[in-house]
Amino acid sequence: MGEAALVNEATVINIAGFCKSYKNKAAVDAVDLIVKRGEIYGLIGPDGAGKSSLMKAIAGVLSFEQGTVEVFDVNVDSEAAAEKIKGRLGFMPQGLGLNLYGDLSVEENIDFFAQLRQVTREQLAERKEKLLAMTRLDKFRDRPMKNLSGGMKQKLGLICTLIHEPELVILDEPTTGVDPVSRRDFWAILAELLREHGITALVSTAYMDEAARFHRLSLMYNGQILAAGEPDAICRQAKGCLVQLTVEPQIDALDLLKVRYPQIEAIGSRLRVFVDNTSSMDAVKVVSDLLPGLAIKSIRAFDTELEDAFIALLRQGLLANQAIQANTIPRFDNPLSNAEGIAIQAKELTRDFDKFRSVDHINFVVRQGEIFGLLGANGAGKTTAIKMLTGILPPSSGEGQVAGADMRNAGQMIKERIGYMSQAFSLYLDLTVMENIRLYASIYGVNRKIVRQRIAWVVQIAGLKEVTDQLAGSLPMGIRQRLALGCALVHQPGVLFLDEPTSGVDPVGRRHFWDILVHLARVEQVAILVTTHYMSEAEHCDHLALMYAGRVIADDSPGNMIQALQNEAGQLLEITTDNPLAALAQLEQGGFKGVALFGKHIHLLAKDIESVEKQIRVLLDKQSIRLIALEAHAPTLEDVFVYRVLALEEKEPI
Amino acid sequence: MNGHAFLLWWDRIIAMTLKELKQLIRDPVLLLIISYFFTADVYMAGSGINLNLRNASVMVIDRDHSAASRELMYRFRKPYFDLKGEISGKNEAEDLLNRGRILAVLDIPENFQSLLLQGKPTAVQFQVDTSNTVLGTLATGYATEITAGFAQDFVAKRLGLNAEQMDALPVIQNRHRVLYNPNQIDGWFMSISELLTVITMLSMMLPAAAAVREKERGTIEQLAVSPLSPLQILLPKVISMGLVILLGVAVCLFLIIIPVFHLPFKGSIGLFFAVTALYVFTTSGIGLFIATISHSLGQVTMLVILLLMPILLLSGAWTPPEAMPPGIRWAMYISPLYYFNEIGYAILMKGAGVDILWDSLLGLTGLGAVFFNFGVWRFRRQFG
Repeated sequence: MGEAALVNEATVINIAGFCKSYKNKAAVDAVDLIVKRGEIYGLIGPDGAGKSSLMKAIAGVLSFEQGTVEVFDVNVDSEAAAEKIKGRLGFMPQGLGLNLYGDLSVEENIDFFAQLRQVTREQLAERKEKLLAMTRLDKFRDRPMKNLSGGMKQKLGLICTLIHEPELVILDEPTTGVDPVSRRDFWAILAELLREHGITALVSTAYMDEAARFHRLSLMYNGQILAAGEPDAICRQAKGCLVQLTVEPQIDALDLLKVRYPQIEAIGSRLRVFVDNTSSMDAVKVVSDLLPGLAIKSIRAFDTELEDAFIALLRQGLLANQAIQANTIPRFDNPLSNAEGIAIQAKELTRDFDKFRSVDHINFVVRQGEIFGLLGANGAGKTTAIKMLTGILPPSSGEGQVAGADMRNAGQMIKERIGYMSQAFSLYLDLTVMENIRLYASIYGVNRKIVRQRIAWVVQIAGLKEVTDQLAGSLPMGIRQRLALGCALVHQPGVLFLDEPTSGVDPVGRRHFWDILVHLARVEQVAILVTTHYMSEAEHCDHLALMYAGRVIADDSPGNMIQALQNEAGQLLEITTDNPLAALAQLEQGGFKGVALFGKHIHLLAKDIESVEKQIRVLLDKQSIRLIALEAHAPTLEDVFVYRVLALEEKEPI
Repeated sequence: MNGHAFLLWWDRIIAMTLKELKQLIRDPVLLLIISYFFTADVYMAGSGINLNLRNASVMVIDRDHSAASRELMYRFRKPYFDLKGEISGKNEAEDLLNRGRILAVLDIPENFQSLLLQGKPTAVQFQVDTSNTVLGTLATGYATEITAGFAQDFVAKRLGLNAEQMDALPVIQNRHRVLYNPNQIDGWFMSISELLTVITMLSMMLPAAAAVREKERGTIEQLAVSPLSPLQILLPKVISMGLVILLGVAVCLFLIIIPVFHLPFKGSIGLFFAVTALYVFTTSGIGLFIATISHSLGQVTMLVILLLMPILLLSGAWTPPEAMPPGIRWAMYISPLYYFNEIGYAILMKGAGVDILWDSLLGLTGLGAVFFNFGVWRFRRQFG
């Protein structure tokens, strides 16, 4: 009993049986949640999982029907009760800079929130300096908020949320739409605050790859909690293991395995299969046996990662009763006439806006059948590059070929030959699925004789059969994105441009989406250009170009990019200690650069692992911190991105 | 353009037009606003607003208390005036005028009757509140007429003339013949004027709103990378909203103006609708221009109001061009409503045809071509 009392004392948030519905539609259904002091607790789930409703209720700004919400031992059941806790918590709502004022400068925004929270002048001055320095926003203090990049807006939002030094911060999707470097900054700030003030943070995200940042987390789906606990423990809950293989020809192997294993995806040249209820020993053999006569180049079993676990848990749990539709993807009416060769070529492409150079002499080539990823932070020039290639924006200099036409003088021809899907859902929400498809069929001039057949083809390829008569506005994100893809494919183009196609889409929806893309590239030889700053999307690409300040700074396959980083900066060391916060500070003082906290672990890049390990041991021993484990991994694409961009930022700050 | 390309061009226009209409039908708030303007708003303007002097309150300071003074004051009668009684003096009169309780005060001096009987000149004072200039001017005019009539009758009586002798006097009778609106019903003028204003406002607002909504929701981006030309994006908005406005005009004419105000439709219905279509096309050019410089529906609304005011003031509905100062008179020629006013009243109330209206029609067409091309050109620069 004594132990229970102790836990109670340290409990910041205690929620039991929480229910919330909008217009009789349950948004959150019987959720329990306990967050302890000093934790970074994650709520992970796709759009519409119920994360925002839960967070708003905790912040005391949303009424709810059932259950109890206790924050700092205050039962938040009335406005009066919510008033009592408001001073002790900070809440940052979803959306880039939505709680800020666009016309006010960085400093004015901070001052405003400080006055609102009645922070004294001295405290304000001190905290403001510190937080501005920490977020590297001190150079921009006079810049109006609306002129900041997405990442900077979120950092400013965080400062404004923290200016009254709350004990609990509630951050709703703070990293959505933020580039990896700013995301890393963001997590570093949170880790620092945790160390200095012992704050508690409840953070939501739609991205599974951020899971390692949390001490504990809840996986949410459809208003319910699918699993809760430490990241590793959740991964272990999914029964089965992950097999990764390289096999030729990939598309045949995909077709063979798909029948047996619904959870399979193609990532570049590799296939990733989740094998249910099988140990890693047997899984490799089971999978190999299914592929007789195919050339297996490599095959290995891995520990489950959170995204795989999420999908596996969904399949094994909530969606167990639903038949997994093995959707056969229909072919194009006619194979592409130019199924080989160069689909997109940019030569010294440049675009100036007044004095600002948005795109600076970029070069790249995309071949038919290739999935090409254009990576970069907000403002790196990705969208401008796409606009020039799709013929919306004339280049200042340089040239480009798209689908066999010169972009400088054949804009109209290009528009007829390409498919395009923009960043935000840009179809008509007040039209039905069928009406949207029909509209785009007319716009793209699909021949009247075949239009019925073509619309049926779109419905099938995008898997929209059950929703044809629903308004697009009533669909979940994942299906909307497939509708947008379907509309972009209505004229069966040879080149497809996708601008951040799956942000905000749940992992199941994202897989479905990428299934279609892989099919289009591999089977129909469609060239696909994807822009993204999410590494989970970048991994799917055959080839990547990394953009920074309008230039392409790296251009290679994902595997080669990771290899190049390994040669240059070494392996990724994952350090596990009994006091990660103290260890982090100690390592930073000891001169290690790029040290980052991931939940209980610390990551850093190191070339000579043996000598680095000795250094680390010495440093940690000084503070009598116990080193539990030290493992070397291959760096991820995110590491590549952050490393390359930071190296350039040091050389030439924007 | 060959036959196939021509068909494709129109296929796209039709598909986009149907899309706009579907979106409008699914927007109940907008539908409600449009139907309000074409029914209740026009009805209120036609029945509520009165330009004539009706029951204007008058009080009298009678310092004479004679038969003559009484006779004069009882000539201030309904329907124009409403005699509210007597007051004692100037101070009270001023007070009542200041507080807006009455519109005018008639001040009859002492010895009014005796001076008249002696054949000496006398004067009455008529104090009018002209803060509303129209009413004030009308009241003064009517009062002058009443006093003159009284004087004439008094003189005739004094001379002891009988009716026959009266007729022999050299009096010029002012005989009116009221054309086009014989009973001078304000409802006709006001309801038509309001209808024209509503058409002006909606033909700017609706296409602009449809275009800016695509901007707000980001759907414009998808259209920009499609093979649609800027004209193919914009024209369907004008066509669809034009159809909606024409339908609204039909409802307004045949359900409100004609049955309620008994307006005799003198001219050709077909011609009126054709001109209305031309006018909608003209003003929608202004709307498209507004859409290119706005980022949100709120901005569109503000700009429509901003531009609607000068268009109304310069339309000639309230003041004919010859009464305007020279500079402003010139500016009237770029107000599309100026032409539409001329044509609209002429067709509806005078039964005029193209033979008479050709110059105004030409002006409207020219203006429309300029505005529409300007709107499309601005849009092309933004998204071309």
